[in-house]
Amino acid sequence: MHKKMAFSFPDEVLEHVFSFIQSDKDRNAVSMVCKSWYEIERWCRRKVFVGNCYAVSPRMVIRRFPEFRSIELKGKPHFADFNLVPDGWGGYVSPWIEEMAGAYPWLEEIRLKRMVVTDESLELIAKSFKNFKVLVLSSCEGFSTDGLAVIAASCKNLKELDLRDCEVDDLSAHWLSHFPETYTSLVSLNISCLGSDEVSFSALERLVGRCTNLKTLRLNRAVPLDKIANILRHAPQLVEFGTGTYTADVRPDVYSDLAGVFSSCKELKSLSGFWDVVPDYLPAIYPVCSKLTSLNLSYATIQSPDLIKLVSHCPNLQRLLVLDYIEDSGLEVLASSCKDLQELRVFPSDPFGAEPNVSLTEQGLVAVSLGCPKLQSVLYFCRRMSNEALVTIARNRPNFTRFRLCIIEPKTADYLTLEPLDVGFGAIVQYCKDLKRLSLSGLLTDRVFEYIGTYAKKLEMLSVAFAGDSDLGLHHVLSGCESLRKLEIRDCPFGDKALLANAAKLETMRSLWMSSCAVSFAACKLLGQKMPRLNVEVIDERGPPDSRPENCPVDKLYIYRSIAGPRFDMPPFVWTMDEDSGLRL
Amino acid sequence: MMKSYIWLQTADGSIQQVEQEVAMFCPMICHEVIQKGMGSSKNYAISLPQRVNPAMLSLILDYCRFHQVPGRSNKERKSFDEKFIRMDTKRLCELTSAADSLQLKPLVDLTSRALARIIEGKSPEEIREIFHLPDDLTEEEKLEPLKNTTDDPRIRLLNRLYAKKRKELKERQKLKNIEVEEERVDDRSVDDLLSFINGDNGDSKGIKNSKSKKKNRRRKDQQKNASANEAIKNHNKEPNGLNQVCHSAEVGQKVRPGVGATSNLHDVEDDIFDNKNELDDVDIDDEIDPALKEKIDREVEDFARRLNSDWPERMQEILSFGHERKPVHFSLNGNGS
Repeated sequence: MHKKMAFSFPDEVLEHVFSFIQSDKDRNAVSMVCKSWYEIERWCRRKVFVGNCYAVSPRMVIRRFPEFRSIELKGKPHFADFNLVPDGWGGYVSPWIEEMAGAYPWLEEIRLKRMVVTDESLELIAKSFKNFKVLVLSSCEGFSTDGLAVIAASCKNLKELDLRDCEVDDLSAHWLSHFPETYTSLVSLNISCLGSDEVSFSALERLVGRCTNLKTLRLNRAVPLDKIANILRHAPQLVEFGTGTYTADVRPDVYSDLAGVFSSCKELKSLSGFWDVVPDYLPAIYPVCSKLTSLNLSYATIQSPDLIKLVSHCPNLQRLLVLDYIEDSGLEVLASSCKDLQELRVFPSDPFGAEPNVSLTEQGLVAVSLGCPKLQSVLYFCRRMSNEALVTIARNRPNFTRFRLCIIEPKTADYLTLEPLDVGFGAIVQYCKDLKRLSLSGLLTDRVFEYIGTYAKKLEMLSVAFAGDSDLGLHHVLSGCESLRKLEIRDCPFGDKALLANAAKLETMRSLWMSSCAVSFAACKLLGQKMPRLNVEVIDERGPPDSRPENCPVDKLYIYRSIAGPRFDMPPFVWTMDEDSGLRL
Repeated sequence: MMKSYIWLQTADGSIQQVEQEVAMFCPMICHEVIQKGMGSSKNYAISLPQRVNPAMLSLILDYCRFHQVPGRSNKERKSFDEKFIRMDTKRLCELTSAADSLQLKPLVDLTSRALARIIEGKSPEEIREIFHLPDDLTEEEKLEPLKNTTDDPRIRLLNRLYAKKRKELKERQKLKNIEVEEERVDDRSVDDLLSFINGDNGDSKGIKNSKSKKKNRRRKDQQKNASANEAIKNHNKEPNGLNQVCHSAEVGQKVRPGVGATSNLHDVEDDIFDNKNELDDVDIDDEIDPALKEKIDREVEDFARRLNSDWPERMQEILSFGHERKPVHFSLNGNGS
């Protein structure tokens, strides 16, 4: 069969076709088709996504993509959120900012997740990028309000400043005042992470007042309830709003003021905040509830009856984050009222308590899985589960794409049969064919991993803790999950065998995290020696791993593929295994 | 009433006349008529770019004929476009190119979007196939990861084969059969490849218990403040509690399958494969398709026959760990020797 002649396009035409292809995955595929497409694509890529900042060097990115306007970088592994990554591990953004400052004066957008950002970097951003528009810092740290002040003062075209879940050093409340009086382009502002006294209310009100394009405003806890009315009056066009503390002495005038101002917000679709909620003030938001698609009540310590009332007013809800105060009864109401629900997260109000403080069980999740046909994404904390419930959930809702179940006490068995929950999770992976993300919990043997390896073919991210019996478990996952990109494991009896037998698989993934497992230092060295395109990092605060016998397990292991080679910004408790660390025979 | 026509000539030499209002919808033709006074007669036919062959011209004129009518609603236009764009990829490519050469932007956008939709969600191989493009990128140029070698279904079968082989070996060794000699060669290689950290396998039993296995998963000494896998991110990243000290005592122990032990205790080297085999025999629940199991068993037998001669090379290929296959001399006999 002779190969047909390639159809030749002029480059501009191809570039025009590519302009309609925006997802990173598709752009990457396009660039891998052939030499000419690679060349055309690299010149017209405008958005770059780097899932692991150590997988590639800034210089390489700049060399390959000379004309991007937007970059997204991720630093620390996900388990950093649970304090498993010691401070100082890395994820510094400064080398990136420094390289880009010289190369891209026209850079417009920077989005960072779990990275360390300094005030110097913020200043460099403000100084170097004249058309800078978007700064999103998610779960970042290392900077202060001084850095924010420089951004505010210098970035005339700033549209978005989002500091979700960051740890910011509060040095001055007045950074907001640094937005010049002439500045009006703000569209999105999220300062919900700032501590108290980090915001000047009058500056905020004036800013909100003159930025008539403001669509998203998420305030921090320090903003009192009586200030909200004033702020909202200035911004009735808001689409997303996060309150500050939602508590005050119950006063009819304050209440009616608030209710009135909420009614005038005709575009409001998303609400959040609600720290310290006083239930009496909740009905003030009822006027907007019917249009709400997203509601974040994860700080709202209100009880089930109030939650039920609230939720029943929101028939168009697509996304709900709530504490387990909602209880099974509340979730049943949710299931019958909110048929458009796509994402549900139920957080524990008292995770460290020995006994359950609320009546939230597997039944709530079963109810929602039955009643909400569009439900795709779930994060659910509870204290008991059964295989029967999981099988029912899986059968009810085969369209799950994200299923994260957290049974609070590790190794909790099926409360009805006292068996492991292997079969239940097996049902989840078998029925939910498009499952991309899964978190396991409860009592689990190697069996569950066999199911996962057999059925979870689209799984991209798996989180495992206190599960499995042997290397076989890990082997099932590494050999069976074709789409696996991120695997994070803690406190499981997985050792060297599965890891070494599946070493090649690790190059097809973004990263593997293993802490408190049974991988020996010797195996780490071997892996580092044999796989030059993997960075094998041993993280051990007990001291150098070679001060212990080689067969001793390392404390934490972080393996990620990289074309940038080993990094040089490691703290004293991180060692990268490389070719030189192989055994001397 | 006289209708005005524009004369157009395609690269193959053929000339046709087209209603003026239709032809003038194309900026390139419009330019030729207005700026250069061309197209008014057969002798002065406008030469269209090479990328516009008669078939493409016909399509483009259909498009122009519809859209140049002023009164149409957006809905009508959209509906026409959706039907118009339905054609095979080759024609779509030609049309995009042709429309581009005539500077007919709305049609270029329409066809480009359609091509983008064809490309989206596909792998590089698939895209290459559709557009007949060469696979000419080098490994260095590809910043893509290595192909996942365990994708190969033969490797999965291989795993099952090893499980069976091991079982067979154990049984034969029990009978102290002379043929163990030959089997042992296989066995040792399996060891090499699958447990890099085994000790020297010179002796008959060969298979050492190199890696510890924690005897009891249900560690009762677990600290009580160990919380679940996923803590609450929103709540200021509360400490997750469990800072496990390396229980070196457990790590250093050899484990032998005990009589009363739970079913998931095995000799280390059996773990990866025998366990799998054993699971096949026990039909605890119906979550694994029995037909699939049977199919795999048959394939394993088949595969075993085909595999015998070349499997050492095959394993090498699979693991790409260089050409040395000497057992690596780790001393990890658990007892810290």
